[in-house]
Amino acid sequence: MSSASEAKHPAQEFNQITETVADVIERPKPPKAWYVAFGIALAMLGLLAVSVYHLLTTGVGVWGNNNAIAWAWPITNFVFWVGIGHAGTLISAILFLMRQSWRTSINRSAEAMTIFAVMCAGLFPILHTGRPWMAYWMIPHPNEMLMWPQFRSPLMWDVFAVTTYATVSMLFWYLGMVPDLATVRDRAKSKVRQIVYGILALGWNGSARQWHRYERGYLLLAALATPLVLSVHSVVSFDFAVSKIPGWHTTIFPPYFVAGAIFSGFAMVLTLMVPARWLFGLKDIIKESHIDVMCKITLATGLMVGFSYGAEIFIAWYSGNLFEQYAFLNRAVGPMAWGFWIMVTCNVLLPNLFWFKKFRTNPFLIVGVCLFVNVGMWFERFVIIMTSLSRPWIPAAWADFTPTFWDAATLIGSFGLFFTLFLLFIRFAPMVAMAEYKATLPAAHAGHQKG
Amino acid sequence: MSSLDRTGDYWRSLGELEETREFQEFLDREFPEQTDATRVSRRRFMQLMGASLAFAGVAQAGCRRDEDHILPMSRRPDGYTPGEFQEYATAYELGGVASALLVRAYDGRPTKIEGNPAHPFSTGGSTALAQGSILHLYDPDRSRELRRRRDGGQLLSARWDEFRRFAREHFSRLREHGGAGLRFLSEATSSPTLRALRQEIEEAFPNASWHEYEPLSRDNEREGTRSAFGAPYRTLLRLDRAKTVLTLDADILVDDDRALKNAADFATTRDPDSGTMSRLYSVESHFSSTGALADHRLPLRSEYVLPFLLALKAELDPDGPTQTPDAEFLEEDEVQSFLRTLARDLLASSGESVIVAGYRQPRHVHDLVARINDLLGNAGQTVLYYRDPDEGRPSHIEDITRLAGAISGGEVDTLVMLGGNPAYTAPADLGFAELLGQVSTSIHLSEYDDETSAACTWHVPRAHYLEAWSDARTADGTVTIAQPVIEPIFGGRSPIEVLSLILDRDHESPRQLVRRTFDDVAGFAIDPDAMWRQALHDGFVPDSHHRTERPALTPEPRFTLSESQKQRRDRREDEMEVVFTPSSATYDGRYANNGWLQETPDFMTKLTWDNAALVSPKTARSIGLKSGEVVRLEVGGRQLELPVWVQPGQAPYSVSVALGYGRTRAGVVGGDEGEGVNPVGADSYRLRASDAPYFVTGVSLRKTGRTQLLASTQDHWEIDPVGKKERERRATRLVRQTTLEQFGDAPDFVKDVDDPYPDHGSTWQEWEYDGYKWGMATDMNKCVGCNACILACTSENNVPIVGKENVAQHREMHWIRIDRYFHGDPENPEVSHQPVACQHCENAPCETVCPVGATIHSSEGLNEMTYNRCIGTRYCANNCPYRVRRFNYLDYHEGIDEARNKVRHLLFNPEVTVRSRGVMEKCTFCVQRITRTRIEANNDRRRIEDGEVKTACQQACPTDAIVFGDLNDDKSRVRALHDRQRSYKMLWYLNTEPRNVYLARVRNPHPDLG
Repeated sequence: MSSASEAKHPAQEFNQITETVADVIERPKPPKAWYVAFGIALAMLGLLAVSVYHLLTTGVGVWGNNNAIAWAWPITNFVFWVGIGHAGTLISAILFLMRQSWRTSINRSAEAMTIFAVMCAGLFPILHTGRPWMAYWMIPHPNEMLMWPQFRSPLMWDVFAVTTYATVSMLFWYLGMVPDLATVRDRAKSKVRQIVYGILALGWNGSARQWHRYERGYLLLAALATPLVLSVHSVVSFDFAVSKIPGWHTTIFPPYFVAGAIFSGFAMVLTLMVPARWLFGLKDIIKESHIDVMCKITLATGLMVGFSYGAEIFIAWYSGNLFEQYAFLNRAVGPMAWGFWIMVTCNVLLPNLFWFKKFRTNPFLIVGVCLFVNVGMWFERFVIIMTSLSRPWIPAAWADFTPTFWDAATLIGSFGLFFTLFLLFIRFAPMVAMAEYKATLPAAHAGHQKG
Repeated sequence: MSSLDRTGDYWRSLGELEETREFQEFLDREFPEQTDATRVSRRRFMQLMGASLAFAGVAQAGCRRDEDHILPMSRRPDGYTPGEFQEYATAYELGGVASALLVRAYDGRPTKIEGNPAHPFSTGGSTALAQGSILHLYDPDRSRELRRRRDGGQLLSARWDEFRRFAREHFSRLREHGGAGLRFLSEATSSPTLRALRQEIEEAFPNASWHEYEPLSRDNEREGTRSAFGAPYRTLLRLDRAKTVLTLDADILVDDDRALKNAADFATTRDPDSGTMSRLYSVESHFSSTGALADHRLPLRSEYVLPFLLALKAELDPDGPTQTPDAEFLEEDEVQSFLRTLARDLLASSGESVIVAGYRQPRHVHDLVARINDLLGNAGQTVLYYRDPDEGRPSHIEDITRLAGAISGGEVDTLVMLGGNPAYTAPADLGFAELLGQVSTSIHLSEYDDETSAACTWHVPRAHYLEAWSDARTADGTVTIAQPVIEPIFGGRSPIEVLSLILDRDHESPRQLVRRTFDDVAGFAIDPDAMWRQALHDGFVPDSHHRTERPALTPEPRFTLSESQKQRRDRREDEMEVVFTPSSATYDGRYANNGWLQETPDFMTKLTWDNAALVSPKTARSIGLKSGEVVRLEVGGRQLELPVWVQPGQAPYSVSVALGYGRTRAGVVGGDEGEGVNPVGADSYRLRASDAPYFVTGVSLRKTGRTQLLASTQDHWEIDPVGKKERERRATRLVRQTTLEQFGDAPDFVKDVDDPYPDHGSTWQEWEYDGYKWGMATDMNKCVGCNACILACTSENNVPIVGKENVAQHREMHWIRIDRYFHGDPENPEVSHQPVACQHCENAPCETVCPVGATIHSSEGLNEMTYNRCIGTRYCANNCPYRVRRFNYLDYHEGIDEARNKVRHLLFNPEVTVRSRGVMEKCTFCVQRITRTRIEANNDRRRIEDGEVKTACQQACPTDAIVFGDLNDDKSRVRALHDRQRSYKMLWYLNTEPRNVYLARVRNPHPDLG
């Protein structure tokens, strides 16, 4: 079909896109695979609900955290999810400013993924506190107790970085979706849909003035969001870099974390998009060339991450600091070396397969590599947190860690939350930015060519 | 409950009500909300409710002062302010030896134990066991009711009246026959009152006999001195006068009835800043705390001590009667050089040396020790003897064996057991628990309805020592008075009360009896009442100690050795030796239900909530054992399964096993099979026979293929090689140490390290402390690792216990821990240890990372926790380089509001917040003590004086290793210690600027042994 599109009338082509994308929302029943996936996701979400209930009623002790390793899986999960949440903004903001037109096929879903990932991420720092019902004390607010947050703490910076990021991402996503929601509204046949999409479309009528303001606003938000891509994970990395713990206390963390975040974010986008384009017949919109570019970005960021690992180890040696040296030696050969080598294999070695065209075109191989990258990036955070906390300054206080059932349940549950939201998004919101996509088509510029 | 009937007319109506069955049931349920109101009439319900309120007034300890002096509070008694604590002198007895204590009570509610600094044989310090003993006072598992067994075996609750009626009748009948068939079994006791009562018993029941049994007894010393001097003698050590000390299988600084005094005396000789130090040699199988302090330690099987000692005597006195035995191990180079150097050192410090053998060693060893001390002129100088007051009695093991023989011979009809738990602690070959079933009337007075109570026809709840009048002698013989601080919470009775009942003279109160003994001991006085009041106030009878003498030796006998004692140190595994040691947590098992003690890590193994078979690394390797593997020890048909723990420094092919575990009726903490609570640890008494109660040889050790979780608070020996290497590298910086010789050459050696002190100043204007500036100094040369500080802190600061699983997950809550490192040869390592609490850093890494400002610096330099503000992000714990922060991962006080646990509320120190789930906590430098003293000082418009504020850990420390005070005070001790050359700050290179300094450890090895 794509080869034939050249010959089509532009209006026909635009219509084709609307039909393809809107069909996903409008068809009476989604494909069976959707039901299966949604069922699994809901079950996992249920597990999260049970875990959270158990956690809130019993205490943080349901996890394996201890007095030496005070942060364990929950913070690993937090950093992991925040990292995942990076691709969306990168694709929407930075690539938009750079006029990378291929982004339009995936930006909507990548942004949705970002928001859902940040939601999952936000869950963990709140739940991991000893008294989650007091977590709002981290937010500066006037109160009769004369409490005020302590702004020297990187955790405070986190609160602002992550909430800003979540807010801007959400605005960006929604703003970009308004014209498409209006399209869905206009095509809606049932009353409910008309009302719901009517409210969501905010009275969009597609006037030139609206389009003008929309595009200005979108551009401004993109400019606003761009620094956030770099800031959020830099700030998250400060949680570690500002502390006094060997293996954490390093200046390379901000760029290293940002590269890792984009790396994992792209891997996650690919993990979701490659099956989705097959499942919903979006192969003409999300083209192979788009997937190819994303694989290349994954490869590039993967190399950056690999370089960071090397630089960290080099600096540990070069600094002459024995504590740093031991922290890194312990990562590689200590009792948790398996985690380190999983991380190296998944994040440094496997992405190199993307040098080969075959690996960038075969959907199975792409998803396979990307799944490993996701695993590897979870392990990266695991290694950073666990190895450093388990063997810090005083050997008498060294400790090991055994995860509990609830550690795993909460992590799996967070995937449940993520996939549930994502599947609902696919079903009820236009998953491709139709309006934007159309604007990138040659047909959109046909009038100019013809003079 | 039964305390009601003593209270006279006032409670009569309630006492009558108590007779009814409904009320009894009601008491069982304890709380009115659980009363099923639908089944009783409204009138009855109101009656019960009213009674419960009245009863609450009796049962709540707030109103349980001694009734003799009760006064209305309309006018406040002088010197008493509600809410202020008062301290009372009292004493507790362990193994027949008293410890002089001070008890802190808030409104009549004891909460904390301290040593009695006024007592002549006390240093003001206290032991871990004494600190922990207060927990039992409020232990809901303590027996709450008297029980009798019907003929059918059914257990029924009974009341004291019933028992009194029974006892009157029963013992008056026995008296007619002079007490034939009547036996008494008591724990070892030095109480003069009990001794007097015992004499009366012996007069009243001439055909009865009295037995005494203590599972961990010091009788071998008695028997040894009996053979050396012709009569049994007890020894007192003057370690403060000793230049050379040799301990033989003896933990004189911790596991000893003179330990506090020994430790304090020893510490005075270990001050390197004075230029001279004593030298300590240890020869032992089990790695003890004393061994950890030794300048030279020789790990030897316990059975090798005798040949070693013979060789030493031959070396010291070549012309004497003793010949060097032909034992192969003595020829080994290490043993040879140790022996020669030791002998030279001992000869060089004649009259200023101490040789002491542990109570596990057989009498021949004690005999020889007495002879060598005499030979070296130590007797009367550094080793003092006093005549054992109980000359005639057989040893405890013999005594219990005789009693068992009498029971099985059908000679015993009535057995009265005053305390103790012989069904559990008696040697396994006696089968004592089964024998008890053959006694038609057996009465057991016990704090718990324990293994022995279960086999008896009567169980009488025993009063805690803080609930009863008594007296006892400290190790030097000073009569020390135990006053009750609270009425018996669960209606317990003391041995004195039971004996007076048997003598049919319980019209006299225990207080009167103790007073009468006092009058006897104290002798003539112009105003006996004033003297009595003074003695109660001080806690002891002045000048009542035993008189020491210098006994003459008998001719030396020939000592023979068994073949097993003559072999090499490397032996085969089927010839294992098993050494029975007391548990540092449960002692002989009596503290098994004490969560504080169970959770306190053993000083050497760092194990909690378990005992294990300790084997040396080489032994473990040769058999292929790893820590946690369960093995079966078997000897003489008896066997025991328990997990192995690889313990560096353990003597080769010698296995140490702690007694006092595997209790089946201890309570819900220590194990109660009736309640479905598994025993803590393995019952090693099952391996212990009357012929070898302290160590047994020829034991076979077999693997079972199973493993068991052991909860240790510190990494164990077996870690990855890279980690091990790093641990050793860091340990030398964390615990700075040197030798006396090198210290003389380079007194500032602590500063001479690769990592310089950071000299870059601060960018900010630093806070100036113009008021107080609190600081601490910990002298590692004095710390003996007795764990008293941990217990004292737990008790003072309401530190919760978390249980074995949580300890295994590294969630123990202790605010102070003792880090322990090994150096050198795993078979005979050096040990360094270091108490670590919050260092109260000037540049505290925890403070800057808290997002809600829950941990902040005070104007006096304390690093303070505001529990209410903490939301539990735990960032502070991560960022603390000392790892001293403790997080409440779970509600560690869960269930405390349940009816049966309510009594535990009374234990809390009311001045310290009980922390909830989800908040961080840590050492506060006992801020409540500082604040209290500051208020007092401010009221007097003066500054706090040096030594006025003592932290709980400092106060408990027997050796004064921990010193706290104001760094702004130039004359304060802590300031002086901070300024000592060997003071250093832990992890100084991090620029955290701790307020605690450590004084480096200085050893004093003999130059020849290097």
